[in-house]
This record gives sequence, C-alpha cells and structure tokens, in this order.
Amino acid sequence: MLYNIAMVSDNFYPQPGGVESHMYQLSSKLIDRGHKVIVITHAYAGRTGVRYLTNGLKVYYVPFLVIYRETTFPTVFSFFPIFRNIVIRERIEIVHGHASLSSLCNEAILHARTMGLRTVFTDHSLFGFADAGSILTNKLLKFTLSDVDHVICVSHTCKENTVLRASLDPLMVSVIPNAVVAENFRPLSPASTDPTHRKAPGPPQPMGPDAIITVIVIQRLYYNKGTDLLVAAIPHILAAHPSVRFIIAGNGPKAIDLEQMIERNVLQDKVLMIGPVRHEEVRDVMVRGHIYLCPSLTEAFGTVIVEAASCGLYVVATRVGGIPEVLPTHMVEFAAPEEDEIVEATGRAIAKLRAGKVRTELFHNQVKQMYSWTDVAQRTERVYDGISGVMSHNEFYQGAGAAAAWSATLGRAGVQSFSLIERLKRYYGCGIWAGKLFCICVIVDYLIYLVLEIFAPRSRIDICKDWPKKAFQDKDKGKERMKKKLINDTDESSGLLRKRSSRSRRQQREEQDES
Amino acid sequence: MDSNRLLDPTDAFFSTATVGRKKKTGTASGTRQLRGNYKKLLWFKQPFPDNYTDEKTFLDHLQRNPRLQPYEFWSLMADATVLVQHLASVAIFCCCFVAIIHGRVSPVAVVGWASLCTVLAWVVWDHWMGQELGAVNVPLKPTINASETSPEATPTLSPRTQQRLATAKSAVLIYAAVLGLSPILKSLTRSTTSDSIWALSTWLLMMNVAFFDYGGGTGAQLPASISTNSAMMASAVLASRLPSTTHVFSLTLFSIEVYGLFPIFRRQLRARSPWGHLVLTVTLVVAAWGGLFITLTGSGWGAFVAGAVLGGVLTFFSMGVCSWWLIGLQKYKNEIRGPWDPARPIIRRHWD
Repeated sequence: MLYNIAMVSDNFYPQPGGVESHMYQLSSKLIDRGHKVIVITHAYAGRTGVRYLTNGLKVYYVPFLVIYRETTFPTVFSFFPIFRNIVIRERIEIVHGHASLSSLCNEAILHARTMGLRTVFTDHSLFGFADAGSILTNKLLKFTLSDVDHVICVSHTCKENTVLRASLDPLMVSVIPNAVVAENFRPLSPASTDPTHRKAPGPPQPMGPDAIITVIVIQRLYYNKGTDLLVAAIPHILAAHPSVRFIIAGNGPKAIDLEQMIERNVLQDKVLMIGPVRHEEVRDVMVRGHIYLCPSLTEAFGTVIVEAASCGLYVVATRVGGIPEVLPTHMVEFAAPEEDEIVEATGRAIAKLRAGKVRTELFHNQVKQMYSWTDVAQRTERVYDGISGVMSHNEFYQGAGAAAAWSATLGRAGVQSFSLIERLKRYYGCGIWAGKLFCICVIVDYLIYLVLEIFAPRSRIDICKDWPKKAFQDKDKGKERMKKKLINDTDESSGLLRKRSSRSRRQQREEQDES
Repeated sequence: MDSNRLLDPTDAFFSTATVGRKKKTGTASGTRQLRGNYKKLLWFKQPFPDNYTDEKTFLDHLQRNPRLQPYEFWSLMADATVLVQHLASVAIFCCCFVAIIHGRVSPVAVVGWASLCTVLAWVVWDHWMGQELGAVNVPLKPTINASETSPEATPTLSPRTQQRLATAKSAVLIYAAVLGLSPILKSLTRSTTSDSIWALSTWLLMMNVAFFDYGGGTGAQLPASISTNSAMMASAVLASRLPSTTHVFSLTLFSIEVYGLFPIFRRQLRARSPWGHLVLTVTLVVAAWGGLFITLTGSGWGAFVAGAVLGGVLTFFSMGVCSWWLIGLQKYKNEIRGPWDPARPIIRRHWD
C-alpha cells in the first residue's frame, strides 16, 4: 500500500548531520517506492518556505524560534495550526518524527495523534539515566511516546535504551539500522593503486615492514567523541610504530588539546590536522589511509565506521553503544575506551595489515551488501504496513508467542484507538504528577483541534497537487513491485489485494485532483 | 567486561578464513530455515522481523545499582556531625550578634575570646603541620599541602618559620583592613530599614548553610567560595546595624574567624582526631542550644542548661531519625547502567 508520509524533525538540510542524511535518504527511497513523502522542519537562515529537493521531495521550512543548536523552542501547542494546515493540504496519513531532542518532532507526534493520524518515531541517539538533563529529556520522550504507533531505533542498544527511557513495549520498537550510500564511499580503484590490475583478488599482499601506514580520524573534536583518548594514545602509538602517520579531520573545542599534544611531542611531520571536511569530501580523506580510528565514547550506530569500511579501511573502534553490532569482526579491531587498549588495538591492526591478514580490498562490496537505503526503506515500509493495519496484527507482531504478555499493551502496540479517553489512559500512566500534567496538555491540544476545526474548517484548506513525476512512477514502480511479489510468491492473495487498493487509491486521487 | 559475548557470533557470511567459508555459509542458511539463534548484530539480515525481541539477549547488559554501597548507621551519624557543627556555629554567630546588639555582651569580649580560640587553634594547627613535616622525610610535598590548606600562608617552599611569618603577616593585614573598613561598613546600610536587613541576612545565612562544602577530607581546598562570601556579606550588613566602629570591627573580625578560619580547622580536626571532633561537636551543640535558649527567653544560666540538655537530646535524635530515613530511602534507589551510557575514558596519565 502507498502512503502519504510526513517526516518531521528540527534537523534537516541545509544543516549537515546524521539525522539529516538519514531523513533525506529514507525519504527519497520511499518516494522511489511510490510513496508520497514531505519533510517538515524549521526555517533555517536563508531557507524558508517550501522547497522541492531531488526526486520531488517537498520540504516545508516552517518559521519557528530557534533557541539552541538548531532546536526550536519547545512550546507544546504553537506548532499545531500550521502543522494541521500542512497535514490536510498534503493529505498526510503517517507522521514520522526523527530525533528525540527535536521539539518539532515531539509536538508533531502529539498533534498527529490528536488529528487521528498514524505516528512513527525514529530514535537516533542514546541517553543515560543519571544526569538531570537526561531525566528531563526522558520524561519528555515518555510523554511523546505514550501514544505513538511504532518506534524505530537504529541499533539494538538504541532499542534497549529507548524501551527503558520511554517504558515501551519492546514489540512496538523495530530495529532498522542506518545505511550508507556505498557508491559515495568507494575505495581507490585497484587500477590506480596496483599497476598489475588484478581483477580477481588474489592472495593478500603483505605490506613491507617499513611501508607507511596512515591512520585516519574523522570526527567532531568533542569530549563525547573521545578526543581525550586520542590525545593520550597518539604519542604512544607513534612511539611504538615509527612508520605510522595520522590524518585527523574535524573541528571542535578539543582541537586545541590535539594541537598542544602535537607540539609538545614534536609530531608535526607525523600527525596532520586538516580541519573540518564536508561530508562529500570525507571519502577523499578516507582513501588516503589504511586504518580508521574511532575513539568515540558513545555512539548509537556509528555510520562513520561503516563509511570507513566501505572505503576499504580497517577499523579500530571503541566497544561502546551500538558500535559492536555494526560491522563483522573481521573488519574491526575493538578496544575498551582506555588509552592502553586503544594503543594495543591499533598495534594489532597495524600488525595485521603488515602481515596481510586483512582483505581490506573486499570490504567495499561486503559493506554494499550489508547496508543499503533501499533495504531501510523496505523495512520502514513494513512498519507503515503494520501500523496502518494492512499487515495483519498477528503477522506484524509475530514472534510474540505469549499473547497474554502484550495484550495489555494492545492499545499501544496494535491498531491504536484514537478515542480521547483511550489516549488519556495511556498518558495518565506516565507518573504521579507528570501523568496528570500530560493529560491536561492532551485535553488542551484536543480543544485547540476543535477550535481549529470550527474557525479554520477543512473545506477552506486547499488540497495541493502531488509532484507530477510521482504519479507515473507510481504505476511503474507499483507494477514492478507487484511482479516481484508474485515472482517471490510470498503471499499472492495479499499482493492482489494491495494492488487493487493502491490502484483504487490512485484513481481516487486523480479524481480529487481533477475536481 | 563481558562484552566479548557480543562479538562471538561466527562471521557466517564474511569469514576471512577462506577454507571454512563455504562450510559456514551452509550452516548459516541451515539455521536460517530453522529460525536459528538471534544475534544482536545489524550487519546481516536476521531471519526475524525487525521488531522481534529476543528474550535471552534483550537487555542482557543492563546493570542495576552497580556501585551501590549500603549506608551504615553509625558512619552516617558521624558524617552528620559535620552538618551539625556548621549549623551550630551559624547559630552561635547569630546569638552573639543578638547579644551584642542588645548590649548584653561587650563586642570586644566576644571577639577577644574568639581570637584567643583562633590563636589556640592555630597553635594546634602549627603542631600538626610540624608532625606532618616530621613524619615525611621529603619536606617538599607536605609544605605544598600545608600552604594549600592554610588560607593565610603564601604558597612557598621555605621552612616553617617563614611560613609562620607569612601567616602572621596576612593576619595583620586582615586585621588592619577590617579596622580600616569598619567606619565605612558602619554607614553602609543607613538608608535601609532594619527589617530588610534581617530578611537579607537570613537569606544569606541560609545560602551559606546550603552551599557549604560539607564533604571532603583535608585535601579539599577552602570551603566553597559562594558559601563564605554569602556569610561575609551577611555579617557585613548585620554589622552595619551596630552603633559604633568598635562594634562593627569586632563583629566583622568575629565573622571572619567563624566562617573563614573555623571550617578549615574543623576539617583538619576531623581528619586528625575523631575524639577531638566529637568533643568539638558536643561543645558546639551545647553552646548553640544554650545560647539560643538564652536569646529566646532572655534569662540566665538556667535557660542555658535547659537548652543545652533539651537541644542536645533533640539534635541527637533528629540525627538518628534522618540517618534511618536515608537508609530506608535507599531501597528506592534504581540506577540503571548499560552499554548506552557514555563510556568513561581511562587515561593512564597526562602527557607532559
């Protein structure tokens, strides 16, 4: 079935970042699969109004007060009128929020449920439970996720974290990893590095004992990225392995520490700091090296190490957060977040490369098979099918042998009821005080909705035309998909049903457009 | 760390061992049909839906209260004495102020006795420093330590006499400065009503109590500056209510002794002799409650004794009840730790 999906987050292009690229890639792949996707974000400096990106992805830059690091001011209700307008204009069925710190996303999920829409939330980051900031964020997340249809997390660790933070039923949390565009992270072609130009990878070539091995580090130089570990480890690594060079890209408050370390140890000829690089230049930096070092202290997924492996680099990473799940062990050398362990692990990696035990030239194709955005879009589509009832409840929550265990949360996990009293029940359980406060918020939100329905009726809101290219992509892609489905003979009857439903939907839409 | 468990799954698809590769792939596809083991890994497609939750591995790295140390009653009581001591010294200061402003006690007598105690305390302090020097053969480190813990000594690596001289010098400097500032302080708040001053000084003293550094051994530095500063400000505005320059001078000097120097001595005393600490606590509590009763009733030594006995018993029991309460509250402690927490980097030493 095809859906109209709105991706909502504070983080979107032109600002660079992981969430931003995730949203863009996922949206464009979903559009490829025939869905209609729009993105709602706040206005950036010099970027307001409505824009179309490649592939007909429509982006609404909503004017909003930005308070801190491109996060909007958390007003619980003020986003509702314009959000409602956009949702009705675009005939949105599923609201998909990203990033838990984005107040726009939190608000959108609340309002979407008030309006009776399906909601999905994707969590991209990990939070602790101890400090005051985390406690507040977690409470807010609990509020938002009390009434959400499904949650997507980027790694298993992230799933555990989110389940604990928001007291969710684990079955309504899916793990769908990030992906990389492997084509953008190719290693240097073998022709340029190897004049003999072997097509088939022959036996591994051991490196000479004095051949220069370059270690790449690309990260923002912040405390939580483990720059302190880097500062402590580099002199020891260089002392133990004289023919090693470092290239460090990135900027941040810890850059000064690195520079001081370089100067104190007189390593100017061995450690090269090249400052911040744009995301599209990351590959060009990566292919200059042999090892990628990731000393991060917390990481939900660690896209950068996948990118590094895709570029054919052997990865040395700290064993934190979701990093151990991301790559198979033959691509990574793990270390505890300790200075000595990092030195050791880097030493092991250097020794393996010198002995030719690692087939880094095979990494690119392997990574390409592991992660692709098309796969992510497919899996996300399954989530959409599950929450909108296209996929039967039992099929979606299969593996839940103990039906009794989740029947209590059926309201949350299943096809959710939109009735206000059911929603209030879910919010009320959030805490002694918080539960009541949240209920008041929800009731006010509902009243605002009623007021809006009276004073800004739906009939007065124009239905906007869909991106024309999409309409005929729909047919082709839809048919292709049907064919694939039939060939795979997964479930013929449901395939036919879907076909019919999508076709009827399209007809309806065309009628509406014409009228 | 047992995180190796995360890494043990066989690299079914991408094993480096060229010999075993085919065999392993075969077993992997076999397990796929059999709905084999679930792995907490992202890089291969598992034969499970995305929202599958494996009961064996889900949250297996969760730790609850990993560093919980159950409190013990008597150690809590011992720690509570620090709090009681500070509260008592604040109470004594307030009682002295009330007595001075009502003219029951001469300010010179108050500051005279307090200075005498300060000098005695300094003698004891000096003795301790000497012990420390004698105990450690290398004289370099303890001197640094001493100069850090003593507020008046300038950081110097010279012998003890020089340090004593420095202490005396700074004492004289403070004395002279307070003496010079007294006339200014006296007229500081002339245009303000007394009510505002009482309210302001109450808040400032509460700030002093709230922000005081109760923890820490001898190695800890001076008490938190916000606490000391608020107490100083409180005493300055209180002193400005007093009638003569002598009064103002005495009260300011007294407050420096009570809020500036006394906490450092108490800290050192607690570390050095537990019995001395206990005796000091009892003395302070008795003095504070006695003084409080005298101030409240306006009568003589009878009130002092009654206050000391009643207050002492009350203090002891409230300390006990609070300790029990804290121990009881500990069962609600639920600290959650897991792989999502930011790791604490372990760095052997700073490069230099």
